[in-house]
Amino acid sequence: MIFERIRRLRFRSFRLSTKLMITYLLLTVVPISILGAISYYQYRKSIEQQFGEHMPRTLQLANMAIEKRMDEFASLPDLIYSSSEIISILRKEDYGNQSEKLQDEFIVNNYLTRTYINGNNPDIIGVFMATPDRLFASTRMNYAGTEPGQRHFDLGHPLDENGNAKLLFPNELDLRFENGRPYLLLMKQMTDFDNRRSLGTMFLAIRLDFIESVLGELENPEAAEMWVMDREGAIIYHTDQTKIGGTDPRLGEYPVLNGSFKSFTGNEPRVVSVNQSDRYQWVIAHSISSAALTERTDFYRNVTIVVFIVFAIITSVLSVILALNVSRPIKRLSSLMKHVELGNFSVDLKANSRDEIGLLARSFNSMIAKIRELIQQNYYIEIRQKEAELYALQTQINPHFIYNTLETIGMAVEEEETEQVVHMVTVMGRMLRYSLGNDSRLVRIEDEVQHVRDYLVMQKYRFGSRVDFDIALNVDGSRLHTPKFILQPVVENSIKYGLESVQGVRIAVAVNREFGAASGKQDIVFRIRDNGPGIAPDRLAGLLATIRSNSLVHGKSGVGLKNVHARIVMMFGGEYGLQVDSIHGGGTEVIIRIPVIESTESAQEFNQGSERHHAINPNDRGG
Amino acid sequence: MARVWLAAVFVVLLTLASACSPTGDYQILYDQDEERSAKERHPDRQYTIAVVPKREGLDYFEAAKDGAFEAARELGVNVLFRGPETADADAQIRVIEELIEQDIDLLAVSSNDPKKLLPVLKRASDNNIAVITWDSDTDEEGRAFFINMVDPETLGRHLMDTLAWSTGERGKFAIMTGSLSAANLNEWMHWIKVQQQEYYPNMELVEIAANNDSYEEAYASAVRLLESHPDLAGIIGNSSVGPPSAAKAVKEAGKQGEVKVVGLSTPNLMRDALHDGTVQVITLWSPKRLGYLTVALGKNLLDGTLPYDGQFVNKVGNVRVKGDMVIMGEPLDFTKDNVDQYDF
Repeated sequence: MIFERIRRLRFRSFRLSTKLMITYLLLTVVPISILGAISYYQYRKSIEQQFGEHMPRTLQLANMAIEKRMDEFASLPDLIYSSSEIISILRKEDYGNQSEKLQDEFIVNNYLTRTYINGNNPDIIGVFMATPDRLFASTRMNYAGTEPGQRHFDLGHPLDENGNAKLLFPNELDLRFENGRPYLLLMKQMTDFDNRRSLGTMFLAIRLDFIESVLGELENPEAAEMWVMDREGAIIYHTDQTKIGGTDPRLGEYPVLNGSFKSFTGNEPRVVSVNQSDRYQWVIAHSISSAALTERTDFYRNVTIVVFIVFAIITSVLSVILALNVSRPIKRLSSLMKHVELGNFSVDLKANSRDEIGLLARSFNSMIAKIRELIQQNYYIEIRQKEAELYALQTQINPHFIYNTLETIGMAVEEEETEQVVHMVTVMGRMLRYSLGNDSRLVRIEDEVQHVRDYLVMQKYRFGSRVDFDIALNVDGSRLHTPKFILQPVVENSIKYGLESVQGVRIAVAVNREFGAASGKQDIVFRIRDNGPGIAPDRLAGLLATIRSNSLVHGKSGVGLKNVHARIVMMFGGEYGLQVDSIHGGGTEVIIRIPVIESTESAQEFNQGSERHHAINPNDRGG
Repeated sequence: MARVWLAAVFVVLLTLASACSPTGDYQILYDQDEERSAKERHPDRQYTIAVVPKREGLDYFEAAKDGAFEAARELGVNVLFRGPETADADAQIRVIEELIEQDIDLLAVSSNDPKKLLPVLKRASDNNIAVITWDSDTDEEGRAFFINMVDPETLGRHLMDTLAWSTGERGKFAIMTGSLSAANLNEWMHWIKVQQQEYYPNMELVEIAANNDSYEEAYASAVRLLESHPDLAGIIGNSSVGPPSAAKAVKEAGKQGEVKVVGLSTPNLMRDALHDGTVQVITLWSPKRLGYLTVALGKNLLDGTLPYDGQFVNKVGNVRVKGDMVIMGEPLDFTKDNVDQYDF
């Protein structure tokens, strides 16, 4: 039934926990059940086998005991050989008169009574001595029916060819004793050794109490039956008294007469052991139901089954728990993955165990965390990039700057300084072209420096001698690259604060190759120094914090510097960026550090791959 | 995989089921007969046993012959009963030599001489013939065992006693023996003398007359004894020809009742003499029984069984064994009252 159900379903489509449970059942419960059943069956069989070998031997011993007793009885007739008087009477063949014959009869009967009935043998209930024409008898109790002797003597009843005593069973005779007492008749041919003639036949009727006493000594559980039967199956003794005198109709069917076999003829299988007496031909049989034989085993079997079921239940529960332990986190994992699939990364697979499931859960958790982090990173980088570009764009086309420049140009036109106007317009055009001309993030240092120079030239036109500047390009500006618009915001700041507080502001820009302690190699360093008012130490700290902070600040001072720093860090990592040194009242120096970017290829790479660069080295982020 | 598993489980269950189901009404667990039957077979070869008496033609040995042939019939053996014409060792040797030429398995000899027969018995042994003696022994190296009818001491003393009862323990007596070389006769005679010396000082052994188991010689010597010892009180016949010859001589001399006759002889020979009072007591055993016993024990020996003390030999009774001598039983006394019960 179970198998059919299993077959109806397809094993492959089962849940993992079901599979684990079925596998457990197949691997443990089923083999152990089969093993148990086989060993129980074999054990039962071996008990029967052992009993079957043991019992016939016991019966044989009982048979030998009975035979020995019977031999003692069989030797009793020989007692008459010692009485020459009796022998000489038995030798007589004819008598002169009746009284002589009756006297001899009296003598012999008297002798038989003395010797056998009143002798030491309470089991002898009758003795008969038959000669061809006489019968002597003496019995302990009344009897009816034909006396033995004459008939057997005349018919030449098959005597044992060796002249041994032979047994006659009651069913072969019609002699009945008082109370229907069961008996055996022992027949022995008496020989006149000297004259080599037969003297006659002696019959001893023996009651069966001695058989009972021998069999009574055998261990005999109540469930067992024991009986003694003659060669025709007539039961002469039975543990069940009522069956004495009956017959065992199956005797002829018995496969062995010395040994044991299992009989399936009755309601229940029985183990029957039999042993046949060689000399006297009777058969002792012992029969016990195999259930009774294995009764104790059955008790242990039941105990074992109960224990087995208990253990099976316990281990099944354990296996279910185990299976669930394995499958539940996997199920949760799959549902969490669905969440992740839908975009929810704020999931946590809780796992406390240190096994593979815990390992899996931890790996999953850290994977999700990493994904979340990367997403966040890219998200902010993108936003900042866009903002920076937006700011730069705003700076490039600052209408205020254009307005101021145009006003300056207008003043120059009024003063008719044509040459100056032309120069200013040229510079202005170049600046606008630089701003609009190309949208790549990296430009040649030469161009960036030119742009800041243009810016400073324009400021100088506007403010005259109040603005002074000096630019020293100490690297190969045509070959090396830099991010766009990193100098202008710094210079703009310097001019703005410088013009507010001092009469003339002087700005020095230097571009050098320097060894960088943070990057561990040669960097490009831009130094923008001014002689402005400087920054008070507490404000400087605040400014630096603003620059390095991740948050986006709008409209406050330092925004330009922060933007530049953030863009460099985003592109090259935390070891690069912007540094501010200032002495209050003594000027400010801004240092911008970037890597050496030589070829156009690497410039291209930085133009497109800044995001990847950050993905690879997330910890390089400054601050 | 699951299907393979299921198949395996089914196979196991089927095997179990078939093992459980009985194949018939009976299933043998153990058979003792199987173990026994193997060793119980031995060939039923018919043995040939040669029984040699001291001489042929004596009632005593004829009775023994009857017993031997009765045993031959009942025990299923071949018996050759052959003896010399006279109770003479040389004649007996010739008979034995003839028998050795025939295909016999066992030789049972009633020896006329304990020493002279030894070489020929040795030859028989060398021809793979078992040798036993009965009735009269040889020296013990000549045979496996000796079947004696009675204990010689018991018999010798008893013979002396029967004479003493008859003569009133006094007077002269003579012994008529068979051959002076026959071992059994000499031993009995020895015990007769011992008994007389111990208990009967008033009796005197005057002569021992040998007759070589010949009726003629025995009669002659009996007559001579009566003549040469007119005051003879009794005669003991030490072999079966003695008492009949003595009885005849006493009767003819008219000395019935005056000269008592006792001794060893068969009831058939002595019935009349017992009844008419010439002979007082005759002692013997059943020679038939002895013949039967000889053949029965001979067959047992061929089957590999030596006689043992207290052994019950069927149709013979219990026998005693002293050393290598089998004793059949006790001597029987025949008087005029019971002699008719016996027919040998």
